[in-house]
Amino acid sequence: MFEEFYTIAQSINNEYIAKVKEQGALCIGYTCSYFPEEILHALGIIPYRIKGLNVSSLSIADAAFGPFICSHPKCLLQHFALGDYSFLDGIIVTPGCDSMRRIDECIRKTAVNLDLPVVPPFFFHYAVPHKITEYSVKWLVEELHRFIDSVSAHFGLSFSYDKLKESIAFYNRLRKRLEELNALRIHYPARIAGADAVAVYVAGLSMPRDRFYGMMESLLSEYTGTALEDRKRLMLIGSANDDIDFIKTVEGETAVVVADTLCYGPRLEVDYVDEEDEPLHALALRYLNHSHCPRMYGGYKQRLAKVVEAIRIAQVEGVVLQNIRFCDLHGAENGLIERDLEKLGIPCLRLEREYGPLADNERMRMRIDAFLERLEVRRLVCERP
Amino acid sequence: MRKALKQYNFDWMLWRTYEAGSRLLAGTRQEYDIALRYIPNFRDPVKEVFKAKAGQLFLQMTATYLDNIVNAHQRGKKTCMTTFCFSPAILYALDIVPVTLELLTVMMTFLYKRGTGEFLDYCNEAGFTETSCSSQRGSMGALLADIGTPIDMVVTDSPGVCDTNANAFAFFAAYKDLPFFQLNMPPWLVEERVTEYHVQDYKALIGFLEEQSGKKLDVDRLREILTELQKQDELINELEQYLSYKPLPLSVTTCLFIYAGRFMFAGMPIYTQLLEMLVNEGRENVTLLKQGINISHEKSRGFFCYIDHYTHSLRLWQMLEELNIGYSGNILSHFWADSNPPVVHNNWKEAAYSIKTGTLEEMLTSIAAINSRMPMIKSIRGPYDSPYMWLQDTLALASMYKADFIVYNGTPGCRNTWGMVKLLAQDTEKAGFPTHIMYADAFDDRVQSWDATRDRFEEFLRVRRLL
Repeated sequence: MFEEFYTIAQSINNEYIAKVKEQGALCIGYTCSYFPEEILHALGIIPYRIKGLNVSSLSIADAAFGPFICSHPKCLLQHFALGDYSFLDGIIVTPGCDSMRRIDECIRKTAVNLDLPVVPPFFFHYAVPHKITEYSVKWLVEELHRFIDSVSAHFGLSFSYDKLKESIAFYNRLRKRLEELNALRIHYPARIAGADAVAVYVAGLSMPRDRFYGMMESLLSEYTGTALEDRKRLMLIGSANDDIDFIKTVEGETAVVVADTLCYGPRLEVDYVDEEDEPLHALALRYLNHSHCPRMYGGYKQRLAKVVEAIRIAQVEGVVLQNIRFCDLHGAENGLIERDLEKLGIPCLRLEREYGPLADNERMRMRIDAFLERLEVRRLVCERP
Repeated sequence: MRKALKQYNFDWMLWRTYEAGSRLLAGTRQEYDIALRYIPNFRDPVKEVFKAKAGQLFLQMTATYLDNIVNAHQRGKKTCMTTFCFSPAILYALDIVPVTLELLTVMMTFLYKRGTGEFLDYCNEAGFTETSCSSQRGSMGALLADIGTPIDMVVTDSPGVCDTNANAFAFFAAYKDLPFFQLNMPPWLVEERVTEYHVQDYKALIGFLEEQSGKKLDVDRLREILTELQKQDELINELEQYLSYKPLPLSVTTCLFIYAGRFMFAGMPIYTQLLEMLVNEGRENVTLLKQGINISHEKSRGFFCYIDHYTHSLRLWQMLEELNIGYSGNILSHFWADSNPPVVHNNWKEAAYSIKTGTLEEMLTSIAAINSRMPMIKSIRGPYDSPYMWLQDTLALASMYKADFIVYNGTPGCRNTWGMVKLLAQDTEKAGFPTHIMYADAFDDRVQSWDATRDRFEEFLRVRRLL
């Protein structure tokens, strides 16, 4: 049932991309969930959320990035340098965080330094504000205009607002499907493993969306779910993660991740783009407001409220707060979340990890097991008459 | 944190120490020499600062800054935690007292042998990351532990420029449940749209500050401060000319005084006094140079393309003196006024700010432009090789100062610069400047001892035949 999703999610290129590329379609990669895929979709371009999976060495990335940088963008750079992303016709770099924003220069300079064809022909630095105000939304609308002009001119495409409206409607339908999938996660008992759900989300970001929609429809019509009884219900919070194996490590045999705030997933809730509003304004509003990322400074209380609500709805027993080393945004926010959730009586586990081929897998496994034991004790105490 | 450290508020302790230090020269030379015997732990930093003619005034200014913080509430003023790259001029215009984390951190590392280690560590105890920048953590730890003047509001302007900086302020505000405001910086500088964004953002900031302080912005007061800033810019411009002379006609700490003073008292008369004193010293020494009188010996000259190293007793400056290294500027001492020498020389007017004091709108546009061109805010907001960004600034300044080499020094917390400093160094090398990357932490010697840092620096100088 999920094999195909896993195959797509756990590889960089896939047959679906290859097929449409053969037919002349364009594919553009992007680095951050603040970019509205709807625009690319409206232009007939395949959006691709860049991943860093399966890297076995960081030799090239280490030469460009400094030592105090998150391993996630390093893995992305390594893939570019190795030519793994040669199927991309463009890349959109967002200053999502300082480690990721510098992939802009690192890709360009690595190409020159090593004489590698790593730079896609279209390169766009997409500036997203860090706050939600009338003028920052206006800025983002202008930024989307700038992107449309730039990409249309580069590839000789014509942009149509009617097409964009259709794409917005399509993505809203897709979000509806994702919501249905999410319902299986938060069901008591959970009817889908967190790893399976994340595999679906990540696959969705790595292939033509229309095809993905069809696969989602089939999945939801055929899959009735497997009741995952007696598993500790966990929520996963923190740094970006496109690595299904990491979710499997967290879940092991006795837990299930029923909710997450990870930026390769649908975040905490699936909110829709207003189809009645002017499309670019609607997109700017949705993508700034939907954010559940500490890059939006000063929004901690709202994010915490969303987490608490998700914990209530999904009947979460414990929260795993993870951050990739040098991810200060999530690392620091995790400290606040831990303090505030523990005050509310919700057990938390903070993990600092490396992104990549699970170098510290066993260390994490041991800590997660200890945390699950804590939850087990708590269950026993709560069940006492 | 040790109980002993909680006995006194750290800012009060710093204030009393700087206050005492600033009075050391008030007596006779003999009294001063004897006094030094009684302060073995503070002797070296004091001696180093007093090597400059403006040293005493610099210490007085620092003491005044701390006095303002410690006694703010007693004087009916609000305190605002902010960052070095936020111009405090607007806070002074609204009678709000700035509490600049990085400045407090450096005041402590210069003076106390133990540095700020325990405050740094306390941040981690509170849940903040150890990988974050030590410049904020060094004093934020004390404020998290409630051993400093209580903070009333938090303002930062680094979102879009420096995550670890912005994140520290956001964390503190959330941790203490305080009002928080952030100015946002788009990744490029010269565009109508960007200017408009800065001005709108700045107006929102003023609204926030008025609300928090309960005071309305006094237009005349703002004009007065901006006029003073213009005066300060002119003095800095003159100093920059002297700093490009070889050998250096000014004390090696001049650049430090310029930027530290500006971070503390932009637009305030006390800073103007300091600059005037430095300018007078420069004028006198340039006259001597022109008469052929050798006032110093310089083997080679460095340009620090980011920040300095703030280890105890100003040992960086001591080392530069010992090695006869001329050092006249870094990225922190540049504020990019339209009259600034590198701006004039390179015809970069569009990337510079102009101060206009006619209407309120003009003043707000000016102050927003000043703020968006503060050190770091200007140079690392976008791709480093874009126009008016870090590479261009570095090469222009290194050339203007006639530098023989370039040094990068920061902190392991500086995600932004570590994301591309190796690439920048490649480019500066290509441009003909031997470039040294320090792997130290400018605010925490535990990361790499000063001795190790110095050894590596000297090795670089020897290997590249710069000594």
